[in-house]
Amino acid sequence: MNTTLDQTILRIAEIIINELKLEDVTPETFDADLDLVDEVGIDSMDLATIALVIRDEFGVRIDEDDYPKLTTLRIIGGYIAGKLQGDE
Amino acid sequence: MSRQVPQAASWKFADIIAIPTVRDRWEKVRRYFFLRESTYDMTHRCNIRCDGCYYFNGEKQFALENGDPAAWRELMVAEKERGITFAVLAGAEPSLVPELCRICADTIPLGAIATNGLKPLPPEIDYRIHISVWGNDASSKAVRKADDMLKRQMANYHNDPRAVFVYTFTSQNIDEAQEVTEELAKGGQKITFNMFSAPEGYNGPLRHTPESLAKTGAMMTQLLTQYPEAVLFSHYNVVAHTHRLGLHALYSCSYPRMNPSANVGLGKSFRQYRTDLQWDRAAACCVPDTDCADCRHYAAGSAVVTARMYRHASNPETFSAWLDYVDTYLAVWVQGYEKSPNLCDHAVTPPSDGQ
Repeated sequence: MNTTLDQTILRIAEIIINELKLEDVTPETFDADLDLVDEVGIDSMDLATIALVIRDEFGVRIDEDDYPKLTTLRIIGGYIAGKLQGDE
Repeated sequence: MSRQVPQAASWKFADIIAIPTVRDRWEKVRRYFFLRESTYDMTHRCNIRCDGCYYFNGEKQFALENGDPAAWRELMVAEKERGITFAVLAGAEPSLVPELCRICADTIPLGAIATNGLKPLPPEIDYRIHISVWGNDASSKAVRKADDMLKRQMANYHNDPRAVFVYTFTSQNIDEAQEVTEELAKGGQKITFNMFSAPEGYNGPLRHTPESLAKTGAMMTQLLTQYPEAVLFSHYNVVAHTHRLGLHALYSCSYPRMNPSANVGLGKSFRQYRTDLQWDRAAACCVPDTDCADCRHYAAGSAVVTARMYRHASNPETFSAWLDYVDTYLAVWVQGYEKSPNLCDHAVTPPSDGQ
């Protein structure tokens, strides 16, 4: 179990739930492998908004070209972790 | 001349949208982030033939015409099912097939129709109607071979809240925009600006030059200042559409034709249907057969600039300029959406991807 990654994923889930005003889901019940575009219905403008909140919170800049790759919570969590490690 | 904004890099998005005027505008425009467009050529017929016409360039003009209402209804239902929420009805002249336009509007309630305005569209089709203007009547006569165009267009759409007149600036008609805008403003009409963007292979006189881009920018700014009630535009629109670089170079076009990603956004959902109800990903953009390097088209910018929100959220000034752009695009395209006064009263340099 990667506690830091799990915590990051939980926080991202919280951000997405808040920004998209999702109902019937909590950070704990949000499936980290759910396809955010095809199964949650997130579009590019939602992703851009989430990316800005992530930038605020984690200090991580998400390249615009990377949006299409960020399809699940776990992938976003891994992306943030990678960026943070790269900054160290 | 655009102003270079100091990049403090310390602005958080939360702090930017905490500014009351910015927050209000952000909340206003973000309600429309659900819009997902596709475009449809309705017929290969037109009642005029204009120099430099986008439709009669390339292969799409030779597609068979499917005028079967049942086929159109089936297509629109399928489009709605795959998430399309905004239909753009274009080439060659949609007003020649009002029954098909009605089917589209009945199935997908939000949309816009690009027309030359010579044949009025029935009032029950509640889409925005974009009426193309290419100069004063003398210029229209020369380029479009039709008499009294503006007079006829204004008569057909007098007091029609659906109508937005779209003045396309070529390198040849810049000064005329003054008299045309004045006439439209006096008539209570709304007007926005488009830029002639050369079709592939076009080397005629309408193509813009660095000098004509600068002159067009100055004219747009003057008209925006002079007729703020009639002109749907912003200072950032001027920057984005008259920059020496085209939209793709400035913002990286997100339409499938230039965007290999099919995972999200326009690259995933956008289609451009020909009159035979087929589409080709390799050719799909809002104005097919435009020379991408020269593209400054208003329709392209509406999607491409809007999609680049992230890079504009660097400071309140740049984000306000972006909000003005999005507010303008929504007022131009969405029936019933009212434009607010621009937040930013001067030109701002477009941010790069690396900001």
